[in-house]
Amino acid sequence: MNKVVIIDDEPQVRRLLSMVLKSRNYEVHEAEDGPSGLQHIALLRPDAVLLDLGLPAMDGLSVLKRLREWSEVPVLILSVRDEEALKVEALEAGADDYVTKPFGTAELLARLAVIQRRRFTRQNPEITAGNLTLNLLHHEASLAGDRLKLTPTEFSLLHTLAEHAGRIVTFGQIIRRVWPAQLSDQSEALRVHISHLRRKLGTTGPQIINEPAIGYRLIDS
Amino acid sequence: MEPNAAARKESDSLALVAQYSGSLAVVFSLAAACRAILPQTGYLFSALMFLMAIVLAGTRWHRGPVILMAILSALTWNFVFLQPQFTFLIQNPGDLAIFALFFIVALSMGHLTSNLRQREDALERHHRERESLLAERHRANLLAESERLHRTLLDSVSHELKTPITIIRTALDGLASPNPYTAEITTATRRLQHIVDNFLGMTRVEADALRPNLNWEELHDVIRAATTPLEEEFRSRPLLISGLDSLPLLKLDSRLLAQALSNILHNAASYSPQGSPVEISAAFLANFLEISVRDHGQGIPDGAENAVFDKFYRGPDVHAGGTGLGLAIARGLVRSMKGDISARNHPDGGACFTIRLPAQAAPLST
Repeated sequence: MNKVVIIDDEPQVRRLLSMVLKSRNYEVHEAEDGPSGLQHIALLRPDAVLLDLGLPAMDGLSVLKRLREWSEVPVLILSVRDEEALKVEALEAGADDYVTKPFGTAELLARLAVIQRRRFTRQNPEITAGNLTLNLLHHEASLAGDRLKLTPTEFSLLHTLAEHAGRIVTFGQIIRRVWPAQLSDQSEALRVHISHLRRKLGTTGPQIINEPAIGYRLIDS
Repeated sequence: MEPNAAARKESDSLALVAQYSGSLAVVFSLAAACRAILPQTGYLFSALMFLMAIVLAGTRWHRGPVILMAILSALTWNFVFLQPQFTFLIQNPGDLAIFALFFIVALSMGHLTSNLRQREDALERHHRERESLLAERHRANLLAESERLHRTLLDSVSHELKTPITIIRTALDGLASPNPYTAEITTATRRLQHIVDNFLGMTRVEADALRPNLNWEELHDVIRAATTPLEEEFRSRPLLISGLDSLPLLKLDSRLLAQALSNILHNAASYSPQGSPVEISAAFLANFLEISVRDHGQGIPDGAENAVFDKFYRGPDVHAGGTGLGLAIARGLVRSMKGDISARNHPDGGACFTIRLPAQAAPLST
């Protein structure tokens, strides 16, 4: 059974999330603030953490930063709208994804499932996302068996997105991965390459979804 | 600053006139005084007196009056005190040196004082700049502080309003069995969420708390972000989108623009019959992005083309559940990006809303 720790200061939100998750066979532990949440995580070694960004006293971002000093546990951020800058900060500080309140249960469960999939030691040099396959050994990509012609930059970009398939990757994270040596602003180049990639992936392959002011998400349709 | 500088200039020229007349007065009164005591002191003493007067004047006055004073003193001394008296002849080389000294002293004093004055002026200017900078910073701090307070308040109100809605939604999702009562609660919750979003949106717009964050974007993404929350509304209304393929990358705030567009689309869905299409078209011309949304509803009442953007304006055949804020927010959002919105009736029926926004296009083309 997967263990989840919920850190949220609203008792009713905790109770409800706990009910929802228990009905999906999660073992749930609740914490009402950052320090006790960190203690729970250290003690219980959960498989995932739901973290509210708007905690009183020690805010969610500080909790996350402290957590990332010693744990790689997948973290899903619960946030409200109009906090894009904060969300980006949390994602770049090591959060795995976010949902925006008020969120649907289906969305929450889907995100939670995806972020738990990520920690695996890759034994084979292939990544798949839907009908897309990336062969890292030969730097080849294929869509439903057909070879995709990609430039090295496009391949690296698709690699970054596919590795995090289903999860949000911030613009900053992508740029640092794809253009590690570039100091100048690459956001325009990023948009251009994304647009090329989208054309090559067409409508049958996984879709690259833009989340305004945050980043891109590869969705395998 | 302007009137101040003018006043300063005027008082400067007044002071200059006073100094010129002062130099005349000093030279002649000094000449008269020295002439009176000439038998006791000798002509060299009078030369010293003149020099001293020049030095004193030099510390205070402008260069012009001091040099005039030097010329007058030299000539007067030469004419009145130097042998042969009442001629401009100079026979003794020592006297010639003294004669030259008047000019040397006057010029070097002038040089020294003008340097000093320049330094003083620079210091004063620096001081003034510093003060205005400090005042500016103080004002900015105050503004930032009040903005921060406002934002904090808004955030906490927003949090308080959204938490119960989140709880209701999650709880509703948990009620798995389909039940006509839960369907009603779901609809009501959606409506409530829409109202809360609109009130908070209006507050944000009116608080002038919107800081556009420009980034290179594909309009395609903006329209997607605008239509995603309206899935329900557009389930029964086809959305026809045109003109996007020819657009370059544009530098804009996709979040604000998507929100504005979303409100206009929501309005179009509210005022047009089920099953009728809503058309979005876009064009980029002369650094302006134009996005039009056309519906096939009743259109805008005559003369209300501007009023529709007023707060709390409601159309004549009102639908329940509107706040009359959607279009007002849309306009506020677009204006925060230095653009504007207009509304008109399409010649073939239906309302047509157009967002016009200045935007930079990417030199790289997609």
